[in-house]
Amino acid sequence: MVQVDHSLKRLAAGFTAAALLSACSLLAPHTPSSQPPTPQTSSPQPPGSPAPLPSLPPAPAPQVPPPARENHLSAATRSLVTQARTQVAHGDLPAASSTLDRALRIEPNNPLLWIELGRLRLAESDAHQAEGCGRKALALASGDRIAQAQAGRLLADALRGQGRNQEARQVESQPFMNSSP
Amino acid sequence: MARSKTHRLRKLLVVVGVALAALVVLAAVWTVYLDRVVTRDFQGRLWSVPARVYAEPLDLYAGARVTADELEEELRRLHYRSGDPAAGAGVYRRHGGDFDLHARRVRFVDELREPEIVSIHAGGDSIIGLRHADGTELPVFRLDPLLVGNVFPVHGEDRIVLSPDDVPPLLRLGVKAVEDRRFDEHHGVDPYGILRALWADLRAGRVIQGGSTLTQQLVKNYFLSDEQTIGRKATEAVMALRLEAHFSKNDILVAYLNEVYLGQDGPRAIHGFGLGSEYFFAKPLAELDVGEVALLIGLVKGPSYYDPRKHADRARARRNVVLQELADARLIDAAAAKRAAAEPLGLRPPGGSYVPAYLDLVRRHLKRDYAEADLAAAGLTVYTTLNPRAQAAAEQSLTRHLSRLDAASRVRDAHLEGAIIVADPNSGDVVAVVGGRAVGAEGFNRALDARRPIGSLVKPAVYLAALETGRYNAATMLDDAPITLKLSDGSTWSPQNYTHEIYGRVPMARALAESMNLATVRLGLDVGLPRVADTLVSLGLETRPTLNPSLLLGTVEMTPLEVVQVYTTLANGGFRARLRAVQAVLDEQGRPLKSFKVQVEAAAAPAAVYQLDRMLTLVTARGTGRGASARLPPGTIVAGKTGTSSDTRDSWFAGFTGTYLAVVWVGYDDNRSTGLTGAAGALPVWADVIASVKSASYQPVPPELIEDRWIGFGDGLETTAGCSADAVAVAVPTGTPLPGKPGCASSPPNSLTDKIKSWFKSTIH
Repeated sequence: MVQVDHSLKRLAAGFTAAALLSACSLLAPHTPSSQPPTPQTSSPQPPGSPAPLPSLPPAPAPQVPPPARENHLSAATRSLVTQARTQVAHGDLPAASSTLDRALRIEPNNPLLWIELGRLRLAESDAHQAEGCGRKALALASGDRIAQAQAGRLLADALRGQGRNQEARQVESQPFMNSSP
Repeated sequence: MARSKTHRLRKLLVVVGVALAALVVLAAVWTVYLDRVVTRDFQGRLWSVPARVYAEPLDLYAGARVTADELEEELRRLHYRSGDPAAGAGVYRRHGGDFDLHARRVRFVDELREPEIVSIHAGGDSIIGLRHADGTELPVFRLDPLLVGNVFPVHGEDRIVLSPDDVPPLLRLGVKAVEDRRFDEHHGVDPYGILRALWADLRAGRVIQGGSTLTQQLVKNYFLSDEQTIGRKATEAVMALRLEAHFSKNDILVAYLNEVYLGQDGPRAIHGFGLGSEYFFAKPLAELDVGEVALLIGLVKGPSYYDPRKHADRARARRNVVLQELADARLIDAAAAKRAAAEPLGLRPPGGSYVPAYLDLVRRHLKRDYAEADLAAAGLTVYTTLNPRAQAAAEQSLTRHLSRLDAASRVRDAHLEGAIIVADPNSGDVVAVVGGRAVGAEGFNRALDARRPIGSLVKPAVYLAALETGRYNAATMLDDAPITLKLSDGSTWSPQNYTHEIYGRVPMARALAESMNLATVRLGLDVGLPRVADTLVSLGLETRPTLNPSLLLGTVEMTPLEVVQVYTTLANGGFRARLRAVQAVLDEQGRPLKSFKVQVEAAAAPAAVYQLDRMLTLVTARGTGRGASARLPPGTIVAGKTGTSSDTRDSWFAGFTGTYLAVVWVGYDDNRSTGLTGAAGALPVWADVIASVKSASYQPVPPELIEDRWIGFGDGLETTAGCSADAVAVAVPTGTPLPGKPGCASSPPNSLTDKIKSWFKSTIH
């Protein structure tokens, strides 16, 4: 009986996590539909630099939005995120956590991976850790409106999970929260 | 007369009878006692299987910085052999940069991988791509994790314990054939064997055979000292009989195979065939060939006399005798014995995989993060974050440089010591630990336990505290002028610069890069000691330092591990990642143990940390750390800080790239002066480690509302790259008003890459 309860709980956690994870579609390409898809470059990026560094404008005027950046998952980290989601769907959250750790070792500065990890932490009911992931993702998402919005939503959820509703609303009122993927 | 005689006789008989009875009782009590000892201790030891400890497996994917040669080296380290991969798991074939690999079945922390053939294409400096056997693309593939040790998490002994299933049949039967032919028939003691041994000894006129059964040998190893007395022999015999009464032949044989002494590796005794196989051949027992098994069996007779590393000829002869005995017992055929006898011994080169300093940290983190009751379970698997390549690089770099520095030193009665820790700042994973120059030996682990003043390593905390107030930026002018302070104990303190010069007004970026003491003390006092102490604590220092002005120059004492924790937060954009050597622990059924998990926490304002880190890149480009660039690939951007304690007792360097953080300490154990600054002692060691682990440049994502500006390194005035010879790029809050250099139109650099290029040009000229 105890065994059954335990596995039911795990299953439920798995479903919750799957639902949460599917809410943010990291696996979908971030290319807006109005533009042609960006060609996948064949030359891989070295570990530690997930995206090319942005060009700084000659003289940034206050009203001009910051230069656009887009974060993508590489083929390797994409496959690991897929694997982690499968593990979550099977209720194996510890394995999913290890798989995402592995992805983060390949691309430690990719905010999308931190968002994924933060969602997993929420599924594990660890809102405090999710908050850390959200803040880290937000810092790394600088210049990428879409990633910022996803990181912001994660952070707001993590803050609500700790009963910090006012801070959550503050995050949600940030201008980048209006971008949608 | 006769009566008294009878009386006396009767008396004597009673005495003898009582004495005999007492003896029988004593013998019985003694036997019961030994029985207890045998059952209790043997039971305890039989089931105390140590945890197997694995290194982090190497992930291969397009772009992974692994060359073909490095891949092959890694495969060899994992005991893959060259051959036809179709033949079975554990074999690879290489053509230039193309590898076909038959990977073994591996239990990873998050999945069980079945054997699989994969193709790997390695280019000049990185992996180009991977494919499944059916030709489809494989995005990511990891090699087996390297087994680096076996620890009892509670008491910490190194052993590879075999379970009955791990014992190859040839070893099981061979040991019996050579050491105890009647093992399956006797009950612990073999009278026939003793007679045979006696007869052989008599004929030879000296002791050539022992006549001990395997059970007796096991009892001797487990419970008894090495002395050769009748009493001990009797004890051994009784215990052997009791052991056989309680345990199966199989349990006793497996225990014997795990216990028997096979050799000595410095201070480490090699017990058991599992560890012996690893130590002599660097292969799991299951992969040994006939000759290798024969050599190990042969060593039982005299581990030091037949030591194959010291006495190759004796070892060879002994191996061939065993091969003959195996053939005589029909365990192998005569032709195979003959072939094997012609083979070389096949020993692996000595040194390498034993990492006691790292395992030390693993044990401490196990205790920190897991419940002690969980750790007591048998058959745990510990997955660590050790990177064997970084570990080897760090060990080599430290020993090489310390020998060089010793040779150049006038000190003749002591050797320099050192410590290195390498970590991944993004995750807090500790990837290498070197606790001293005797890398393979247990002993004082300086990386974890040497608590020393950190000198100028503290300065980044002072500058970060200043940046966080919002009142300072990299171009803010500081006053490097003499200062005398009255301390709380009534004494006065007049710090000086290391060079004993006074630099006057200097921009903050230069004061940090050139590690100016006077400017830093003035800055720290302006910011306030409590704020500096708070910054150190939020960066990860566990105990808040005493609020003494000398804190600003690093009289605070820290271990290298503590320095790593603090600098990890600087290297990780202000996020504190708790250091860890253990990723996960699985129990015997492959289920993860519950652990205390802490990942990332916001510790310092990311924008302030970014500004500080950009200043720390000037330390290595322009300042006290500029000696590093000669040892790094051209164009590599690194951030770091030198540290030197008073009288040059401690030489430190702490620094990071995009991938790794390393902290190096060099000094004498007895705290005498080294005559070495951080730049002269620790820095070259650090740069060599960083160069050999192939780090990506330090290029953090710029936070919003921070921009790059050019300033004169000497005068702090805003300028352009071409206008001033000493122009350096610094990061400041967007729109910060900076006084301009007359005649130089200020315009921010076009792109970070352009800026770095011209900045490097300007540092070279």
